[in-house]
Amino acid sequence: MREYDVIIVGAGMAGLRAAVGTVKRGLKVAVITKVHPLRSHSVAASGGINAVLPQNGEAQQPSDSIEQHYRDTLECGYSLSEPEAVEIMVSRAPGMIREMERWGCLFSREKDNRIAVRNMGGATFPRTVYASDKTGHVMMNTLYEQCVRLRQNKPDQLRFFEEWFVTKLLVLNNTVAGVVALEIATGKMEIFSAKSVIWATGGSGRVYGSTSNPLTNSGWGLAVPLYAGAALMDIEFVQFHPTQLSGTHILITEAARGEGAVLLNLKGERFLGSYEDSKRNMELSSRDIVSRNIRREILAGRGVNAACVHLDMQVIGSRNIKNRLPGVRELCKTYANLDPVRQLIPVTPGQHYTIGGIRTNEKAETEINGFFAAGECACAGIHGANRMGGNSLLETLVFGEIASSGAAEYISQKHVRVPNKQYFENAFEDEKNKISALLERKGKTRPAEIRDRMQAAMDEFAGIYRDGMGLVEAGKIIKELKNIYRDDLGVDGKELRVNYGLIDAIELRGSLDLADIIIQAALKRNESIGVHFRNDFPSRKGRPRHSVVRLQKGKIRIHYLPVRDKKNLFDLLPSVWKAKR
Amino acid sequence: MKEKIYKIAVFRFDPLKDTAHRFDHYTVPASKANTVLDALIYIRDYIDGTLAFRASCRQGRCGSCAMHINGRYGLACEVRLVPGQNRVRPLGQMPIIKDLMVDMERFWEKYEAVKPYLVRKSNEAAQTYANRRKIEKTVDCILCGACFSACMMTGVNSGFHGPAAFVVMNRFLLDDRDALRDQRLEIVKGENGVFRCHSMYNCNEACPKNIKPAENILEIKKNID
Repeated sequence: MREYDVIIVGAGMAGLRAAVGTVKRGLKVAVITKVHPLRSHSVAASGGINAVLPQNGEAQQPSDSIEQHYRDTLECGYSLSEPEAVEIMVSRAPGMIREMERWGCLFSREKDNRIAVRNMGGATFPRTVYASDKTGHVMMNTLYEQCVRLRQNKPDQLRFFEEWFVTKLLVLNNTVAGVVALEIATGKMEIFSAKSVIWATGGSGRVYGSTSNPLTNSGWGLAVPLYAGAALMDIEFVQFHPTQLSGTHILITEAARGEGAVLLNLKGERFLGSYEDSKRNMELSSRDIVSRNIRREILAGRGVNAACVHLDMQVIGSRNIKNRLPGVRELCKTYANLDPVRQLIPVTPGQHYTIGGIRTNEKAETEINGFFAAGECACAGIHGANRMGGNSLLETLVFGEIASSGAAEYISQKHVRVPNKQYFENAFEDEKNKISALLERKGKTRPAEIRDRMQAAMDEFAGIYRDGMGLVEAGKIIKELKNIYRDDLGVDGKELRVNYGLIDAIELRGSLDLADIIIQAALKRNESIGVHFRNDFPSRKGRPRHSVVRLQKGKIRIHYLPVRDKKNLFDLLPSVWKAKR
Repeated sequence: MKEKIYKIAVFRFDPLKDTAHRFDHYTVPASKANTVLDALIYIRDYIDGTLAFRASCRQGRCGSCAMHINGRYGLACEVRLVPGQNRVRPLGQMPIIKDLMVDMERFWEKYEAVKPYLVRKSNEAAQTYANRRKIEKTVDCILCGACFSACMMTGVNSGFHGPAAFVVMNRFLLDDRDALRDQRLEIVKGENGVFRCHSMYNCNEACPKNIKPAENILEIKKNID
């Protein structure tokens, strides 16, 4: 058994920021991650990170303010955001950028040396800080560099367990006790005991087929805490990004539209102008609106090849593309054989971001003592019913830091009781037996067959447009797949060592449960708000409320909680979104 | 109509069980695979779940799936399958864990040895536009290990830092704010430093991100008198 003060699960941007935060507070920290930290999907974030930067004593955009950032976030989230969490996030944003800058992060700059900012959908002013279109990559490297530095200076305090796969979260008497993990390369399983656990496993996009999420984002990251008693919040809110390169899983960053690219239908018209909700802000309308209207345009027969629309980047000019969006150009060349400097890009909406997640408050605390969650896997209610571009990277940093201060405070203030040895031994044996049993399954259905059918059902029935009948149908399919998983699953390899087939099979259980929960929560929410659009209930109902999901004796239980009032959300004046063109 | 297929030969080796490696031959329907990575995923999903390889983002950004494909290094997710026979091998110069998965410990050790982090001269010095432009060319490195694997010197000298570590080193040497310049130059001057590089340019050819590590090494050499 390995003992630590804090265990961080996941080493994307939230996990690494939490690692820096906890080590700096003098704690003994282990970071457990399925892939090397620099392989985490945070590296693929392109657009940027929102922050109202005071430069030379004033806001970069003279009339912009932190308060405006707050208002934009709430407005983009259709007032389903938790005001307090949003306020904390936007007020800490400038500090986070300054900190990254001190650590050497190479943000793009203006010629007068100021940090450059760009437009993103839903923002009143350009305030998205970026590093060309590789913001995530550049920031992740900076954070990992800081971790390496800390580890070289304080080798006893920080250890990375790379390519270790967490199979179980240990919770006793509603207090976190540690995790069980499997070392992929050796097949060794071990218990990690900890006073506090910070969860930072990222998104869950792979319950859908058409997604820009990586192979690793299976949904297991949400399933493990759920099985241990944590609650999920707003899980029916799944963001679809308007511009995924058609026929692939490649995302064309929103920054392209931020820099001026336009969307065209078959006839070459900027069709967003013909829809009421996107008339004003056109391509810079919020993501849910753009995604829905692209789909509508395709359904109306004005799509290209009846499957996509065109993104025209030529209007940005070749120089700007080369300087500010080189990654987009590379991706188009590699995956579609086309050069956006001269050609139109075929795009279609695809699953992008899991807005819901493990329910936390504005201190990153979950309902389990000592258990914190940060980043995409968490849901403090920041993004409400629709996430604004550029807020997710911000969330990872701010709440990675908040979780580390929370964990430090929790450990120092409370007398944390570590369970006795017997508890750990029993839990370990139990988990080991479960996984051995999975290896011995003699069924004929491959995990991938089940996964493919699940993804197809989710794409068709739980996507941008949903309706009661479709969701019921999807629920039936998932139920059938769960039965197949239980009765007829087969795993190829028969050992624990380097067995990715086994890991796929373990994770698939989580994917199926999560898919089921998304469907049930979407079915129960009889209204349309933000990214959750029900054809059979096209308007919103009553006060904004969060859905909260728990597993009780294996059954899904859903109830609702009102958004906490802080400032008078309904009195927010519609801000004047500045149309750039 | 006969369905279009791709043929792919995949390196298989389990050091705990096998005495020698072999190539397993697979056919993959063209409708299921565009890139080499698609084919590998298809094989693991539908033919043999025990095939070991790393992959994550599927879009050339995370650096997990670097391997030797059809005679040259590249990212499996970026290389398209070719008609006829495809052939994949793991990265070289590193011990094999299983099949296409290698133990990159030495690679990361070398990366950490160059002190890959900024220690600033003063708290106030901010980055400038001009300095950022100078550094820009080094930041695209995704540390996939292709250059390290292609480099002849990393093969014959286990102490040699290798191309990627020097690219990272150059990123900090180019940075106006960096306070560790002398320490860094001390590292690169040493026995396993830049002068071990024989400018064979294998790294430039291997790099899937067009970083040109060899040019970075030349630049570092110019810093040393």
